[in-house]
Amino acid sequence: MKRIATIALVFLAFVGTAPAVSPLEEVKATTEKILLVLKDSKMQGEEKKSERRKLVRDEMEKRFAWEESARACLGRHWIKRTPAEKAEFVKLFSEFLKDTYSDKVATYYGDLEKVDYQGEKIQDDYASVKLVLKTKAKVDHPLEYRMEKASDDWKVYDVVIEGVSMVKNYRDQFDAIIAKSSYEGLLKEIKAKQPVKP
Amino acid sequence: MQKQRFEFFVGLFMAIGILCLAFLSVRIARNEFFAAGGYEVQAVFTDCSGLRSGSTIMIAGVEIGRVKQITLEDYEAKVILKLQPGVVLQKDAIASIRTKGLIGEKYVEITPGAADQMIPPGGTLHGTEPAMDLEGMISKFVQGNLSKPAN
Repeated sequence: MKRIATIALVFLAFVGTAPAVSPLEEVKATTEKILLVLKDSKMQGEEKKSERRKLVRDEMEKRFAWEESARACLGRHWIKRTPAEKAEFVKLFSEFLKDTYSDKVATYYGDLEKVDYQGEKIQDDYASVKLVLKTKAKVDHPLEYRMEKASDDWKVYDVVIEGVSMVKNYRDQFDAIIAKSSYEGLLKEIKAKQPVKP
Repeated sequence: MQKQRFEFFVGLFMAIGILCLAFLSVRIARNEFFAAGGYEVQAVFTDCSGLRSGSTIMIAGVEIGRVKQITLEDYEAKVILKLQPGVVLQKDAIASIRTKGLIGEKYVEITPGAADQMIPPGGTLHGTEPAMDLEGMISKFVQGNLSKPAN
């Protein structure tokens, strides 16, 4: 009986442990992977643009907590939606973010000189990873990834650029659009912002 | 006898005057001596310039509490927010430092979230936005911007 209890305790200890990799390490790994792809000599040129974008999208897909991010951006309007509407919104919003950010990263990485990782801060199931993007024009851009603990790693749910939270920015915009038109109007606007895929 | 009565009324008048002054001082300084109930949550900001103890906390322009204390922790501003009883904040609510008008006083604006879990008394509001650094923004605009492609 005692032996079973010991085994159960050891098992619980393993189940209850925090993700093995720290949030900073997760961010570092994803960033370095993206930069490696973008710097690759075989990936240069206009004809490789869609391939570069796809690789950035794939890395984003793995690192983001899409449902948490979409829910936070929709704010109080999320509660009024049906499960089917929520699922549709998460899909639409994640595609919109992936398109927007992969395009920006793939286009402007040429300005980047260095990524300076500042450190991480963990509190309960939340973490904040801060870094500074140093450009060739000698301008520093502070960036913060806000992360939540998932089952086996840390996922990003908000990105704060120069002190402006992505979630807060979209929450305010979505709120204004819904107040002016409707939830359906918001969906229409997000769909209209998505680039036409070749 | 009449003189004593006169002095008594002067004294009473003075005492009432001092009490009124004290009451007004408390109101103006926005001290919460008489505030009872409510609960506290904490929020960490990278910059809370202009915010002070007693600053208002609002949702949709409605006051829901006051800033109780601001301290420095790990080179960041740890702000204790005292919220009125009955106000519940979702785990993904966001606290932003805003200015009333262009040069008005600073206050904390809360944007409600949609998470199922609420922040318990003594809990932490993880979503924060610091005070807008206008000088920094102007200097970035003058020196260059990442969102502009390199020439």
